[in-house]
Amino acid sequence: MKGHTGHHDAPAHAGHDHSDRFYWIVAGVLAVVTALEVGLFIVNEQHLIAKWIEVALLLILSTIKGAAVVMFFMHLKGDAGIFKFVFLVPLAFATTLLLTFMLLFSEHVGIAG
Amino acid sequence: MSDLTTSPHTATTHATSLGVDSRKLGVWAFIGSETLFFATLITTYFVFAPVNRARSDFQDPRAFLDIELTTVLASILLASSLTMVLALAASRRGDRRHFTLWLLATVGLGLAFIGGQAYEFSHLYHEGLTLSSSLFGTTFFVLTGFHGTHVAIGVIWLLSTFFKVRSYPDSPENAMDVEIAGLYWHFVDLVWVAIFVLIYLI
Repeated sequence: MKGHTGHHDAPAHAGHDHSDRFYWIVAGVLAVVTALEVGLFIVNEQHLIAKWIEVALLLILSTIKGAAVVMFFMHLKGDAGIFKFVFLVPLAFATTLLLTFMLLFSEHVGIAG
Repeated sequence: MSDLTTSPHTATTHATSLGVDSRKLGVWAFIGSETLFFATLITTYFVFAPVNRARSDFQDPRAFLDIELTTVLASILLASSLTMVLALAASRRGDRRHFTLWLLATVGLGLAFIGGQAYEFSHLYHEGLTLSSSLFGTTFFVLTGFHGTHVAIGVIWLLSTFFKVRSYPDSPENAMDVEIAGLYWHFVDLVWVAIFVLIYLI
């Protein structure tokens, strides 16, 4: 098989029997957070809480989900700084872009109309 | 380095002066650019939302979007992220049986997502929401369609990786192949986390 060097790596995680269990736990947390998101959406169709509170809670929950995926599934937590740099800088720029345009164009037709 | 991060020192042919694998750095840089790509599509959706409401061909997103189906699709992608990381862990252990199981499960879940999205698009089309029916239709289909295309590319990437590394998934070179394919797959899941909350729930 191409790419097989015959030298098997001796990873630092060898013997970490709990690794798979850890990922199952992370996935369980993600499932619970997703259920909370959908539950919040359904419950608030009765307008029990203010829309801005619902939006804020949904954004917090989705941020938790995204952070868990990036840190634990993509292993960015504890990985080389250069990987964090090439991902987090565009992410920060993208978030700024979204918030800026939302501020400029939300609730009116603006120049886009 | 994290527990399951492939050491760059074991794949010296792809080492960089930064001390990291060039392929992995390239994929992270690609993911960074993709983040901006999807951010522009999501931003466009929100910029045109009030314009959509003000137009005569206005179509209300709440009247079309099906939260039940979308929740299932979100769960499928989250589950596929779990199976992907389990496939990577199995590949690092040299556990070929579980590597095959989890990677093919990831592919299966990816195909299930594409099938679900195809059903959703077909349903919306018959309900009167099309790419050109309104600004909502245009921005919605462009955004979610591009995401679906990324999922399809991810499935092809995963299958290609599987057939390349299946004999020796634990060699340093092949483990890195699995890791970078997984990075892309997790990113596709990450984008859906954002789309799910921003487009369907808010």
